[in-house]
Amino acid sequence: MKTKAGNVEKSSKLGRILVYIILLIVSFTMLVPFLWMVLTAFMTQTESTQVNPFVIIPANWQLNNFRDVIDSMNFMRLYGVTVALIVGRVIAAVLTATLAGYAFARLEFFGKKVLFTIVVVQLMIPSQIFIIPQFQMVQSLGQLDTFFALMFPGLVTAFGTFLLRQAYLGLPRDLEEAAILDGCNIGQVFLFVMAPLVKASMVALGIFTAIFAYRELLWPLIVNRTLLPLSAALASLQGQFVTHFPRLMAAAVLATIPMIIIYLIFQKHFVEGIATAGGKL
Amino acid sequence: MKKKLISTIIAATLVASTFLLGACGGNDGDTAADTGNETVTEDETDDAAPPADDVEEPDDFETGTVGTINVGIWDSNQRPGLQQIADLFTEETGIPVEISVVPWGEYWTMLEAAAAGGDLPDVMWMHSNEIQRYMDNGMLMNLNDMIAASDLLDMSAFPAGLVELYQDNGNQYGIPKDIDTIALWYNIEMFDAAGVDTPTEDWTWEDFYEAAVALTDADNGIWGTSWAPGDNQVGYWNVIYSFGGYVINDAQDASGFDNPETIRAMEFTERLVRNAMPPVEIQAENEKSVLFGAGSIAMTTEGAWMIPAFKENEAFHENVGVAMLPVDAVTGRRASIENGLGWSVAANTDMAEEAMALVEWFGSEAMQRMQAELGVTMAAFEGVSDDWVNNTDLWDLTPYVELLDYAVQRPYSRNTTVWEFTINDMLMEVWAGTADLHETLDAIVVMMNDALANE
Amino acid sequence: MARRKSANLWGWLFVLPTIIGLIVLNIYPMIRTIWQSFHRVGDFGLGNEFVGMDNYERLFAGGIFGAEIWQAAANTIFYTLLEVPLSIVIALILAVFLNGKIRGRTTFRVIFFLPMIVAPAAVAMVWRWLFNTEFGLINNVFGIRVSWLSNPNIALFSLAIIGIWSVIGYNMILFLASLQDVPRDYYEAASIDGASPIRQFFSITLPLISPMIFFVTVTRVIAGLQIFDSIFMIMGMGTGGNPALPRTQSLVYIFYRYAFINRNWGMGATVVVFLLVLIALVTAVQMIAQKKWVHYN
Repeated sequence: MKTKAGNVEKSSKLGRILVYIILLIVSFTMLVPFLWMVLTAFMTQTESTQVNPFVIIPANWQLNNFRDVIDSMNFMRLYGVTVALIVGRVIAAVLTATLAGYAFARLEFFGKKVLFTIVVVQLMIPSQIFIIPQFQMVQSLGQLDTFFALMFPGLVTAFGTFLLRQAYLGLPRDLEEAAILDGCNIGQVFLFVMAPLVKASMVALGIFTAIFAYRELLWPLIVNRTLLPLSAALASLQGQFVTHFPRLMAAAVLATIPMIIIYLIFQKHFVEGIATAGGKL
Repeated sequence: MKKKLISTIIAATLVASTFLLGACGGNDGDTAADTGNETVTEDETDDAAPPADDVEEPDDFETGTVGTINVGIWDSNQRPGLQQIADLFTEETGIPVEISVVPWGEYWTMLEAAAAGGDLPDVMWMHSNEIQRYMDNGMLMNLNDMIAASDLLDMSAFPAGLVELYQDNGNQYGIPKDIDTIALWYNIEMFDAAGVDTPTEDWTWEDFYEAAVALTDADNGIWGTSWAPGDNQVGYWNVIYSFGGYVINDAQDASGFDNPETIRAMEFTERLVRNAMPPVEIQAENEKSVLFGAGSIAMTTEGAWMIPAFKENEAFHENVGVAMLPVDAVTGRRASIENGLGWSVAANTDMAEEAMALVEWFGSEAMQRMQAELGVTMAAFEGVSDDWVNNTDLWDLTPYVELLDYAVQRPYSRNTTVWEFTINDMLMEVWAGTADLHETLDAIVVMMNDALANE
Repeated sequence: MARRKSANLWGWLFVLPTIIGLIVLNIYPMIRTIWQSFHRVGDFGLGNEFVGMDNYERLFAGGIFGAEIWQAAANTIFYTLLEVPLSIVIALILAVFLNGKIRGRTTFRVIFFLPMIVAPAAVAMVWRWLFNTEFGLINNVFGIRVSWLSNPNIALFSLAIIGIWSVIGYNMILFLASLQDVPRDYYEAASIDGASPIRQFFSITLPLISPMIFFVTVTRVIAGLQIFDSIFMIMGMGTGGNPALPRTQSLVYIFYRYAFINRNWGMGATVVVFLLVLIALVTAVQMIAQKKWVHYN
C-alpha cells in the first residue's frame, strides 16, 4: 500500500519534470524565429550569407540596417496609420456588433431568421472574393488612398455580431423584464442594462478586430498607394530589399516590436478576451 | 446608389444613438424605421454624411491633396533621385509632386483596378508588358500636342524603338524615361582561385559555358552562374537573340520557340543549367544577386536598374568586375535585351496641364542628364548615359553603355504577362529535370500561339 | 401588441447598420463574383460578355486550367489535413499541461501566443530566411541540405509547420478556457477510483471539452481551406519562380493569379465559387458528423 503510493508520487514527480521539459522545448521552438530575426537584423550582409563558418552571433552588433530601413520607410507615420486603423476598426466593429447582436439574441422582429442567415453564411466566405467589388465601391466613392478606404471592409462584422449574440443569449431574462417594468424603452434597456453586461465579449471582439486589422495584407496594398499600415508596407519592402536579408529582418523587428509591447502590457486581456470569445461561440 | 447605402449606414448609426440618449420612460419617438432601409434616412442622409466623412478621414491622412501631382512608380530605389528631379520642377513651377511607390507585383493590380474606375495616378510609369492595353482602352493621355509645342522635348533624341513602344496609330502615350541593358558581372577572386581567365570582350557563349563549368564546384556549393526559369530578360533571352532566334515574331502573333536558332539557344541554356548552375530549388530561394554576393556563383547577368541596390550592398564592393555579354560564335552577334520605361499621363486627370508639364520636365535633356548623373538609371536621352557611368567609382560600368549598340527590345505583346509567366512555369520542369526540353518547347509554342490568338 | 411593434422597430434599428453593411460589403460582392463567373470580363473590368458555363467547363474539362485547379484543390485539402489536426493535438496537449499546477503558466501562455501578433509579412520573411537551403539557420545548424520551401515534395509540409507555429497559441488559449470549466471533483473522483491521468484525459477531459474541439475544428478548417497569405508571401515571391509552387498553391492563390495577374476575372470568380462549394460541403459534413462525437450537456 505504502510503496504503491510512493510509486505514484514518484512517477507523478517524473511526469511533472517531463512536462516542464516539453514546455521548455516548445517555448524555445516558438521563440527561435523571433531570436533569429533579431540576430540577423544586427548582421552585415556578408555575415548573413556566410556559411563557412556559419554566423549565429554577429561579430559587432551594428545598427546600420535599422538606419537604412528607417531612412526608406517613415515608421512613425506607419505606426500612426496602423494605430488609427486599429482604433477605427475596433470602434466600428464593437458598436455595430453590440447593437445587432442584441437584436438577434433578444428581439423578435420581421425577417430576423433571414437576416441572421445572412450573418452566418458570411462567416464561411473567403474575404478575397469581396476585394474587386469592394474596390470598385471605394473607387466610385472617390475614396481611394484614404483612411476611409482602409476602414471600409471592416465597418461591420458578421463574426462580431455572432459573438455578441451568443453573449447576450447567456444572460438571464429577468434583468430586462425588471427594467421594462420600470418604464425603460428597449433602447434604454439595451444601453443601461444589457450592453454593460457583455463588456467582456466587447473586449474580446475588440482584440480580435485589432489583431485582424493589424494582419491585413492584400486590401491595403490594392486600395491605397501612400497611406499604408505597417503590415502592408512591410510586404512592399520585401521587393525592395530582396538582396538584403538583414535589412528585411530589421524592418520586421521594427514592425513587430510595438505590437509585442502592446501585447505584453495587455496580455491578460488578450488571453481572457479570446477565451471569452471562444467560450461563447 | 452605393454612395447612398454607405451614408445610410452611417446615418442609421447616428439615428440609433440619438434614440438612446433620452431618459428611461420617454417614448419611442417616430417610426421611421418601420419599413426598413429605405425610409430611415432619406432626409438624414445629406445632413449626416458630411460630418461622418470628417470623422472617417482626419486631415492628417488626406493624401490625394488637390493641386499636387500624384506620381506612381514601382521601384523604391529610384524614388530619392526622382524626387530630387521633381523638387526642381516644384521650384520652377510651384506645383508640388508626390511620388508613391507600389512594388511591381501590386503595382499592376493597383493600376488595373484604378484604371477600371478612372482613377489612375496623374503621372505613372509604363512598361512594355502593359502599355498596349492601356493605350487601346483610352486610359492614357495623347501627348502629341504637348510634344509639338514643347521647347524642352526632343523625341528624336530617344531611341526609335522606345518611342514606338509608347506609340499607337501615330499618337504618343509615353515619354521614354530610361533605358536598361544587361551586362555580365564576375567575381575576380573566384576566377583567380579556379585559375580561369576573367571575361573579355571577345568571349563567345561557348567560352562563357566553359568558364562556368570550370568554376563550378557543386560539392562545395559553388557554381559558375545562375539563371532561374524566370530570369528571362536578364538571362536566357539574351542568348536567344544572340543566337539569331526570337521569343515572339515581329507581328506579335506567333511564338518564336519553334525557330531553329531559338531551339539552339535553349539547348545551350539547358547545358548551362545542367552543368554550371545551382539546383532549381536554390535558384528559387535566392535571387542570383544574393548568390553572387555570397560567393556561391562566380558570374551573374544583371540589369542596369540593379546598380543602386548594389551600391548599398558591401558584398559587391570588392573584387567584382563588369563585362560585355558574350557573342555567338555562329552568328557573330551580341545581344543585350533592352527595355525602357515610359512616363505616361492619365487620360482623365484633372491636372492635365500640370501633369504633362511634369512629364515634359522628366523627358528634358537636363533632367535626363541629372537622372543619369545621380545614378538613378541610364537615361533614355541619347548621349547622356556617359554621365551615368560616372555615377560610381566602385565599378567600370562602360559595358552597359556599349551594350546599347547591341540592344534588342524586350519581347512583348498586348498581354505579355499571360504567356510570359506560363513559359516560366513550363520551363521550371525542364530546369528541374522532370520534363524534356524539346517537348516543353513544343508545348510552349502551342500555349503561346493560343494566348496570342486570344489577345 | 405595442411591445411587439416596438420590438420590431428596435430590432430593425439595431441590425440595420450591420445588415446594410453586410449586404453592401459582402453579399453584393459575392453575388457579383458569382455573376462574373458566367462571363468573360473585358480589359479593366469593362464589357462583360456572357459565356454561360464556359468557365466551369474549362474547370472540369481538364487541360492546363483544369489540371491546375484540381491540383490546387488537392493542395488546399492536404494542407488543411496537415495543419488542423496537428495544431489541435499539440495545442490540446499544451493546454492540458498548463491547466495543471505549473509554475510560469503566464509566461508559457504569452510565448505560445506570440506568433499570432506578428504581421504575416514578417512571418513570411523570417521563415523564408530560417528555411533557406543555402544560408538558413535550420540547415546550417543541423548540417543538412533540405530545400524546405522549394522541393515540391516537402514545401507543403513546411508551410504547414509555419501554419501550426502561427496558430498553436490561439487554439491553446481556447482549449485552456474550456478546460477551466471542467469541475475539479470529476478528476478527484476518478483518481480515487485509480484512473491514470491518461485514462482521465480520455474519459473525462475529452468528452467535456468536445464542443470546444468541435468549434476550433470547424473554424480552423474553414481558415485552412482559405490559406493565402503565407503562399502569397513565401511561394509567390522572387522573380525566379518556385518549382514547388504548382504543388503548394491553394485555391485562393489560384484565384488571385487568375483575377489579378492574368486579369481573367471570370475564371478567377469561377475558382472562388468552386472554393465556396468546397467549404460548404466540408462544413456540412462536420455538422452532421458532430452528432457522433460531440457531447453537449
